[in-house]
Amino acid sequence: MTIHAVDVLVIDDEPVVRDAVRLVLGHEGFVVEAAADAAAGLAHPALAECRMLLCDLMLPGAGGFEVLRRVRLLRPDVPVVMITGYATDANAERAMLEGATAFLAKPFDDVELLNLVRQVLARTDAHGEDVTP
Amino acid sequence: MRLRIGTLAILGVAAVTAIVIGAMAGLIVRAHRAALVAQLTRSADQLSETVAGSTYVDMLENRREAVHREITTIGRQRGIDKVRLFNATGEITYSSDEAEIGHALDTHAEACDACHAAGRPLVKLSMKQRARIFRAADGHRVLGMIRPIHNERSCWAAACHAHSRDDTVLGVLDVHLSLTDADAMIARDQRSLALLALLAIAASSLLLWWLSGRLILRPVASLIAGTRQVAQGDLNTTIPATARHELGDLARAFNEMTRRLADAQRQLHQADKLASVGRLAAGVAHEINNPLTGVLTYASFLEKRLADQPEVRADLEVIVRETKRCREIVRGLLDFARQTPPRRQPTDANDVVRRSVAIVMNQLTLARVALDFDLANDLEPVPADANQLQQVVVNLLINAADALGGEGGDGGTIHVRTRRADVAPRGHAVVRHAACPRGCDLLDPGTRIAGHASIRVLRRAGDREVVVHLDPVYGRVRHRAGQPCDAGVVAAYHCPSCRASLVTPDRRCPDCAAPAYAVHVKGRGTVEWCARKGCAWTRWEAMDAAGTQPYAELVVEDTGRGIASEDLDHLFEPFFSTKGPRGSGLGLAITWGILEGHGGTIDVDSEVGRGTRFTVQLPYRVPEPADTPALVRVRMPDAAPATAATAPGAA
Repeated sequence: MTIHAVDVLVIDDEPVVRDAVRLVLGHEGFVVEAAADAAAGLAHPALAECRMLLCDLMLPGAGGFEVLRRVRLLRPDVPVVMITGYATDANAERAMLEGATAFLAKPFDDVELLNLVRQVLARTDAHGEDVTP
Repeated sequence: MRLRIGTLAILGVAAVTAIVIGAMAGLIVRAHRAALVAQLTRSADQLSETVAGSTYVDMLENRREAVHREITTIGRQRGIDKVRLFNATGEITYSSDEAEIGHALDTHAEACDACHAAGRPLVKLSMKQRARIFRAADGHRVLGMIRPIHNERSCWAAACHAHSRDDTVLGVLDVHLSLTDADAMIARDQRSLALLALLAIAASSLLLWWLSGRLILRPVASLIAGTRQVAQGDLNTTIPATARHELGDLARAFNEMTRRLADAQRQLHQADKLASVGRLAAGVAHEINNPLTGVLTYASFLEKRLADQPEVRADLEVIVRETKRCREIVRGLLDFARQTPPRRQPTDANDVVRRSVAIVMNQLTLARVALDFDLANDLEPVPADANQLQQVVVNLLINAADALGGEGGDGGTIHVRTRRADVAPRGHAVVRHAACPRGCDLLDPGTRIAGHASIRVLRRAGDREVVVHLDPVYGRVRHRAGQPCDAGVVAAYHCPSCRASLVTPDRRCPDCAAPAYAVHVKGRGTVEWCARKGCAWTRWEAMDAAGTQPYAELVVEDTGRGIASEDLDHLFEPFFSTKGPRGSGLGLAITWGILEGHGGTIDVDSEVGRGTRFTVQLPYRVPEPADTPALVRVRMPDAAPATAATAPGAA
């Protein structure tokens, strides 16, 4: 059983989105770390140990797809959920093809976010990882 | 230097005319001169015969004084320069110019050359050989004529015995005629011919100038002016195309080209507008969804934590609900931009109206607008996308409130009615596909009639061709043409792309027996119209056969300021707004897109100062898939376990 110091690493350039994720997930006991752009996210120490990633598609700098590609090279098994304010089937399809675990359209509410995180982590748990915070 | 075609043509023709007339004048003068000289030569010959005849007897009888008198008398006549007589040795024995009597002439001198050129005197000479033309000492021209006097019996047998029997020629009579009069006549002829030639050149140049101006320069000038106007972007330019020759064809081709350019530009413009809507929607979606995420997450989070404070919780519920509505509006905008088909579910239209009214109630109260409902209790649920339909109703209510004066206005009443309507196809069914017999698409979304894409055909009456946009609503004949056509004229109708005739050979208008023309509608037969201008007959057999169709009808009517008739046609275009800076110009465009997606219709009746009535009709019998745009909604991958959270409306 792996012990994780961080549950979720959220990479989004919008402070309000980072704060909202931190608030909702933090209140449920998840440990959340955040980064504001692609470079900060990829350099974040939590990247190596988090249980899942939430990553905006339209990031300043390298962009969400580049983050997804690099994360897949570093940690092929970690679940990555792409979030975006511009949900099109083309974007969703591309994210899934490039190895995203799920796709979350903005704006979401607390229930949608929590459900998604729990479901994603439950699936990784089914593969042998710890699910409880 | 820039030369005009007309100038070049005139210069060319003047040069050719000058050469031709000049050559002709030269030939005429030459012939005239030759005829005059020949005539004078004959006169000189006759004169010398006369002189010889009249002096004959005096010579025989050797009356030298008489001969001298006769020669002098004749020599003084007008036109005669000189008469003289040489003997066989060249000595001048008689002359009207007494000064030269007794002088001898060299036989090689000009007068003698004719006979003595060969070295010895000749006996017989032709008249022409005996004549010569030379210049006298004062410069005028002279015709000289010699006549040899031959020896004969009476000469050598005469009493004077002056001549022996062996002589052949006894002497030569030489007559000089002045050519002064003849030369003057020739010079006069030359002058009048030159004058005539100049007149001919001037006349032909003038005629050419007039013809080239009328036939070439004026049409070319209008063509150049038209081209410049088109180059400056004025695609409504037409140039006169009345000429029956090639330049007329060119002008007609130019007009046709300009018209097609204008059509293409309109279509591009429309496409550009729609593309702008798409870009705008994407931008708005991305920018607005981030703050909405914050509002939605915090509000819903707080709502759950404050379960013990019902008043606050109720307020938070409003925030959550309205934020979700914002989310739906943004999605609606994206949906419009992507032309997403609706997710139809049996929907109670009255319920949608009530929810929509609740949403805008605050705004209506502020604007002091009263609402009057007449909702049919027995209205069956209609297959529709409830969210999209709510967007339509909210939009119409807000428009009506704005028309009544907006916030702080004097108010007024909005009437909202629902009912089931059984609608006959005539005046209602819309042609959404139209093709010519060879399959060219005739539907023209660039030119809309009351919001619907028109049917573009070519009308030919006489030699005039005009593009006509046919009203796509069956039974309504609000056609639009570039140029009017006189009532009663029976025109020919063609496909504007392949020019195939649209006239149906086996069918005629039952009202006026004029030929009928038709377009093909995919899967729904043909729509026919009468080809006579002013006859409103039209038939769509497939629709007539299908009969009346049930619709859920929603009417939103206000007593506001109304819409000007020239704005009605553009009302549903993206970015068209009559509200000035307050309107985005998207509301009715989105409404239109939603109703198109439902196979429904929206109609507007308006009178300035009286009010506006929007009538929405949603079909109970949903059109076949072929009738709706084949676009796929945002689709979530099955592999993701969390798709439920991403599907719109799942919350």
